[in-house]
Amino acid sequence: MAETKIAILGAGPGGYVAAIRAAQLGAKVTVIEDAEVGGTCLNRGCIPTKTLVATTEVYEKVKEAASFGIELEGGAKLNIPKIMDRQSKVISTLVKGIRGLFKMHGIELIEGRGALVDGKNIEVTLKDGSGKRTVTADKIIIATGSRPAEIPTFPFDHEKIISSDDAICFSAVPKRILIVGAGVIGSEFACVFKGMGSEEVTMVELMPRCLSTEDPEISEMMAREFKKKKIKLILNAKIEKVTVNDDGTVTSYMEGGATVVSDQVLVSIGRALNTKGIGIENTAVKLGKRGEILVNEYMETEEPGIYAIGDCVGGIMLAHLASAEGLCAVENIMHGNVKKMDYRVIPAGIFTLPEIGSVGLREHEANDKGIKVKIGRFALRGLGKAQAMNELAGMVKVIADAETDKILGVHIMGAHSTDFIHEAAVAMAMGATSKQVAEMIHSHPTLAESVMEAMEDVHGMAIHVPPAMGK
Amino acid sequence: MNPADLKYHKEHSWVKVDGNRATIGITDYAQESLGDIVYIDLPEADAQVEADGEIGEIESTKATSTVISPVSGTIVKVNSELEDTPETINEDPYGKGWIVVVEMDNSSELSSLMDAEEYGKFVEENK
Repeated sequence: MAETKIAILGAGPGGYVAAIRAAQLGAKVTVIEDAEVGGTCLNRGCIPTKTLVATTEVYEKVKEAASFGIELEGGAKLNIPKIMDRQSKVISTLVKGIRGLFKMHGIELIEGRGALVDGKNIEVTLKDGSGKRTVTADKIIIATGSRPAEIPTFPFDHEKIISSDDAICFSAVPKRILIVGAGVIGSEFACVFKGMGSEEVTMVELMPRCLSTEDPEISEMMAREFKKKKIKLILNAKIEKVTVNDDGTVTSYMEGGATVVSDQVLVSIGRALNTKGIGIENTAVKLGKRGEILVNEYMETEEPGIYAIGDCVGGIMLAHLASAEGLCAVENIMHGNVKKMDYRVIPAGIFTLPEIGSVGLREHEANDKGIKVKIGRFALRGLGKAQAMNELAGMVKVIADAETDKILGVHIMGAHSTDFIHEAAVAMAMGATSKQVAEMIHSHPTLAESVMEAMEDVHGMAIHVPPAMGK
Repeated sequence: MNPADLKYHKEHSWVKVDGNRATIGITDYAQESLGDIVYIDLPEADAQVEADGEIGEIESTKATSTVISPVSGTIVKVNSELEDTPETINEDPYGKGWIVVVEMDNSSELSSLMDAEEYGKFVEENK
């Protein structure tokens, strides 16, 4: 049998993972990327922000050194160029890693901007200016991702009015920054800038709560953490206009007349899909209302043989979900549409300080679906490990089906919760009940004990919760 | 010791009455039980409070606990210094660690509160 030729448009976490899996399964793979392998995640998103969060965390810990019994003379001082250097190094290590894996798997990487000519051909305008090249494939995967959404109210000048792409690189911590949108990106940057010494960080959010898609109790807890950090959170508020003043400051005008003056405005109101200018119109691929590529449960578009994955299909925008969709698409390409994409268990992390790990239904979502639930909660400060680490903020909230006790969702705010949320994800993937997880022996002293306690609390049996305590 | 000029609520808050105004805080026993206080969520001035209602929340290294108002009325003053130095409540619960001042609606509510001696016994009995 002739080997399957697969062309992948985009080398982000969707495209590059799909490429490697396709190669493992014996396909001949060509990847077309016009920026850098790793995509937004590695170059402008997950990874660079996490290096900033890591620095902020160390900085905050160093400032607490005395309480850990460490005496520091002269105090701590940030060196911004070094922070940026470290960020670049981490990115380049990972970029090289992907490029190396491509080489070892015999994956061809074409650097340039690709556009579909028809269902089998992609024309690539090469990045090095040497002209154009046509790639022909049996199957195509579109993985073009997304970019920061820009609306006329906030025209990016990339200096005063910036997007998350701009915010990851700076030569000085802004003294006063206004962040439009208290979603995941806005909240993460708020913690970074405030932690690194911004005097005023103000978040303006249209919705009645920050992180509005999270469980309401988690939003409320995070709002309190913002308050502790002196990050100002203005809810139910809309900014109508921003103007850059002659003295270099920016004035944001809010509906109702209030104004906020800052040195920069970071706009984090969502992400726009990269589905224009890639030749969709030359194929039978159909777009939805928001410009998202429509796919079936096998990740295949309306044009047989063309698949689409990741942010450009418009679902939940998570790097690891794009990767999972990529693996699903490849499996279906190589073995005939055999695998339906499984969206049941998608853990997600928000890298605020403290961080948030969540999986499954939030309480309001369960209510909307009419599911009767039982809730278990456990405050992290009840753990020996949390006390030893001086990481007291946060809690675990378990949502279980009131009839079957099956775990429907787990939401954690607290140190390292984006790591230990996976215990809950595994349990949910295996269809476990809260009692089963509560009965599993958990190692002591660990933060994961909080998951056990919250599972016990579903049944009113948590050990380290006073009996009368409501929460 | 618990000052004799204050009135005490069973949820371990105290009130000091001056005319129609009541200064409210938490007791020494409350701060001692909570341990190191790291944060207090203060109410807004002008907010209405009910007797036995919540006026704020305190986070210590051990627990999160609500502050209960012994009287009904309107909050006219908030000790916003506690935002930066919540540990003042540990250090001086009956003085600089006051939390709010309430303009009382109904001073007859004071009669249901304990005096210092009664509160002292109440704490002993509930230890």
